[in-house]
Amino acid sequence: MRLFQEDILKNIQFEDDLILKVDHLQTTFYTHMGQVKAVRGVSFDLRKGEILGIVGESGSGKSVTAMSIMGLVDEPGRVSGGSIRYGNLELTKLKDSEMNQLRGKEISMIFQDPMTSLNPVFTIGQQLKEVILTHTSLTGAEAHERAIQLLRMVGIPEPELRVRQYPHQFSGGMRQRVMIAMAVSCNPKVLIADEPTTALDVTIQAQILELIQNLKTKLDSTVILITHDLGVVSEICTKVNVMYGGLVMESSDVIDLFENPQHPYTNGLLQSVPINVRGEKARLIPIDGTPPDLLKPPSGCPFSPRCPHTMGICQKEAAPLFRINDRHCAACWLHSPEAPQVPGYVQSKVGEE
Amino acid sequence: MNKVAYNNFDFLPPEAKSDKEQTRPSLTYWKDSWRRLRRNKGAMVGLFGILAIVLFAVIGPLFTQFTYDQQVNKYKNVEPFLNVYEVDEGVFVFVNIDYYAYQISEKGELIDRLSGKRPEKNIAEGIWRYHYNLNGKDLILDYSYKQVPEKAGEGIAYSFIYDGVEYKEKAKTVWNKTYPLGTDNLGRDMLSRLMEGARISLLVAVVATVVNLFIGITYGAIAGYAGGRTDDIMMRIIDIIDSIPLLLYVILLMVVLNDTGLQTIILTLGLVYWVGMARMVRGQVLQLKEQEYVLAARMIGVPKHKIVFRHLIPNALGPILVSMTMMIPTAVFTEAFLSFIGLGVSAPHASWGTLANDGARSIQTAFYQLLEPSIGIALAMLSFNFFGDGMRSAFDPRLRRG
Amino acid sequence: MSAMLEIKNLKKHFITGHGKGRKVLTAVDGISFSIRKGETFGLVGESGCGKTTAGRTIARLYNPTDGQILFEGVDIAKMTDRELRSYRPKLQMIFQDPYASLNPRMTVQDIIAEGIDTYKLAKGEERQERIYQLLDKVGLKREHATRYPHEFSGGQRQRIGIARALALNPEVIVCDEPISALDVSIQAQVVNMLEDLQKEFNLTYLFIAHDLSMVRHISDRIGVMYLGKMMEIAGSDDLYEEPLHPYTQSLLSSIPLANPRQKNFLNRIMLEGEIGSPINPKPGCRFASRCRYAKPDCFTVSPELRELRPDHFVSCHYAENLVPNVKKEEKIQP
Repeated sequence: MRLFQEDILKNIQFEDDLILKVDHLQTTFYTHMGQVKAVRGVSFDLRKGEILGIVGESGSGKSVTAMSIMGLVDEPGRVSGGSIRYGNLELTKLKDSEMNQLRGKEISMIFQDPMTSLNPVFTIGQQLKEVILTHTSLTGAEAHERAIQLLRMVGIPEPELRVRQYPHQFSGGMRQRVMIAMAVSCNPKVLIADEPTTALDVTIQAQILELIQNLKTKLDSTVILITHDLGVVSEICTKVNVMYGGLVMESSDVIDLFENPQHPYTNGLLQSVPINVRGEKARLIPIDGTPPDLLKPPSGCPFSPRCPHTMGICQKEAAPLFRINDRHCAACWLHSPEAPQVPGYVQSKVGEE
Repeated sequence: MNKVAYNNFDFLPPEAKSDKEQTRPSLTYWKDSWRRLRRNKGAMVGLFGILAIVLFAVIGPLFTQFTYDQQVNKYKNVEPFLNVYEVDEGVFVFVNIDYYAYQISEKGELIDRLSGKRPEKNIAEGIWRYHYNLNGKDLILDYSYKQVPEKAGEGIAYSFIYDGVEYKEKAKTVWNKTYPLGTDNLGRDMLSRLMEGARISLLVAVVATVVNLFIGITYGAIAGYAGGRTDDIMMRIIDIIDSIPLLLYVILLMVVLNDTGLQTIILTLGLVYWVGMARMVRGQVLQLKEQEYVLAARMIGVPKHKIVFRHLIPNALGPILVSMTMMIPTAVFTEAFLSFIGLGVSAPHASWGTLANDGARSIQTAFYQLLEPSIGIALAMLSFNFFGDGMRSAFDPRLRRG
Repeated sequence: MSAMLEIKNLKKHFITGHGKGRKVLTAVDGISFSIRKGETFGLVGESGCGKTTAGRTIARLYNPTDGQILFEGVDIAKMTDRELRSYRPKLQMIFQDPYASLNPRMTVQDIIAEGIDTYKLAKGEERQERIYQLLDKVGLKREHATRYPHEFSGGQRQRIGIARALALNPEVIVCDEPISALDVSIQAQVVNMLEDLQKEFNLTYLFIAHDLSMVRHISDRIGVMYLGKMMEIAGSDDLYEEPLHPYTQSLLSSIPLANPRQKNFLNRIMLEGEIGSPINPKPGCRFASRCRYAKPDCFTVSPELRELRPDHFVSCHYAENLVPNVKKEEKIQP
């Protein structure tokens, strides 16, 4: 397929089941108004078989993190620091042409808006074949067969007919399935789904999420699911990173996150979602204030202006990740041994992560 | 911030926390567009050109010696760049296209036309000359070099003979300081006439555009907002107006008003040009009227005309401005064209079109008389086009970056 | 309590094309419900169900094709613009998109005071005072009055929109998905504010939304729409605890719960087939083509809303015979 280009995947090696290691990732947009620091030091590990949920609101940096992993951050932005290791490959040092060998084949992404992610002038079949032919050495006819197979796998009825149709003949949910088919067509190791169901109705959302879960099992891949919906996270994720203001606030096993949240922001999110109990019209407990302006982020912890437990140090320095247990850590000074006791928040005996 | 130092692990009182409600002035549509416009080199060049032409038209006349209609008979058809011959110590002469000889200073200021022009032709003997009086003596212009085959080899068109000496080569080429752009066939200063032309062309263009603006915007906004049958009818009327060629309107108006000239042209342009603007505004309004802030205004019960003028039109200003900037070169050209074919302002008034018309008659002999107004028209159109193009790119929200 | 707003058989059809290609889009095809004073009525449904069209038709932004809109007993459905003028202040609306619901060229105070200006309710200092009061009510500061919308965040803009709606002292506010476009942490702020304002001014809300958890929290009663028709109406707790219509059952079972020990939608009720089209609809129940319990007459006769439990209405021929919460593997014999 590609002449004169070194196959960067030739010598790739993975240690244990560690697929992706992100270390102090920083991504900045250099605009004429100043530097927008969208991602300000994000670190996490992705292990085989996990479904990692990255939860955050607008401006948290969750989407930019995913785009940085995929190498899709465009001018005027770029990765300005840190590392992203895929096995023993350092992704931040790869050229775009080299990244192309990975995209679609090793790491794939599905986007939020199914209405605009597909090219309206080509058939579904043509678009699927394009991905297949780019990364495999199948012939045209073989690719066509594979396309039909993929459509069937994602639950599209009558795939032989549908493969010749155009995007406008598909509903939103169907188009998202097609996107998923394209993303898994080359059996990627990592599937990144950026708010895949935000634009869809709740019944379709359930179908799509179930599909992602099934495919992950069937194809033995690992999933990063970006969302703002805690319910979605709770239903299918195994691990969760909560992001705010370009940083990871809390990282945990999913059950631990909901039963034992250890960050004021996570707590705030959980409390602002209604718990509906018959008869009681309990008042929602919102988080005061607005998300931070990334042109001038607050000094120290980005959540400090809105946190009910802000301390002096919170405004000076962002907290490191304190280890709560071996599956759970939180970036909050309340866990420091020097901090006063606040009910619900443990002090980390093990120290920093 | 506050001056009290808080211990690291003390809880902060609410006042000490940074502002949790952040507002910031983000870039408005205008600021962003203006910034993009400034960076566009073509647009800035165009803007410079427009300003130059405006200054030329408005302030220029203060700096010339002549008015546009001032005729000086003896200086008819004098070129801007002259080949002068030094026939005597410090005495320079040249000849114009009508074979009149003139004395000129070394720097280029015209002194006078030489009197006593008298042709002497005898082709058979190879004689083709003109005689003039210069300072009491006889100056001869020998024009036979082109006409007589034996002399053709020398490569010159003519020579001067004065006081027995023949001068075959020019001393130098001098820029005519009295008439920097030359004169026309009636002895009028081209520079002044070009300035007058600029004024008229710009006036026509601006007035026509402004009229079109008001009629076009209002018509388009009403059609777009009203929708339905009203919109259909209004648009069909536009189609009808649009289908009749401009020339026909001008001629009809000329007949009706019994007058060619500035008013007719402006009237015609005003009657016809608003169509493009109306269509564009209608499109914008159709799009904008479904915006939620328009619905909100309707919920409040804001009367229709206020919705159109307060909510719809201000938000359509970007494309309107662009459209306006692009209409001007079209108007300039239309006026020039109409004047060129004789339907324009009458003498002695000058617009670039009439100047071009006059100049076209002497295209072989006095080429500069056509070239100058043509360059003027071209420069004006290019400037407005570059600027308008830059505006269009700058105001397109889809290209908004960074 | 008397009905503040009573909707009777409301229809809104859109006609496209002419002659043979004439299509009738039955966005709202005969819905009826009533809202009592001081109550919040939630209107839910998925995309294409017609809830937004219903909201806008009730607010008289569209002209109804048929039916009645009784505002305190007076039918405003067929009133002309002039007749409506005295009703507009009483019936206001809050919109979904905070980035499109404020005129970018107007200052915040002009936006809020547009109603006051239109009806000439106050001038000069009195007008300014009123603007400041409204800003204060929605939690914004006085200095925000002279700023432009682009300087504010989504949540703040939505609050400006609420202030604008309040300016005319309305009695009923139609909330068209007012929190859908906001961040989760901001949604709670806005919902609390709406509830506080409701208590203070005894407002009546028609709350259109698709976030089913939030709708349950804020509404007293809820109506579920599907393809232009009302499927079920009940008190919010009743609806969520005992949904009687097959569509409602499926809808509620698909909501993701924020409780990882309880996986909701792995056990959900799945719908078969594709959503139908509101264009030139077929006779019978709109939901029949996707309903696991559908019988032959469901495809020919349209069901009416029937009161199956106290104050709990269902539009289904066989609702009382349904076995609730069937697992997806089991099929029902027709």
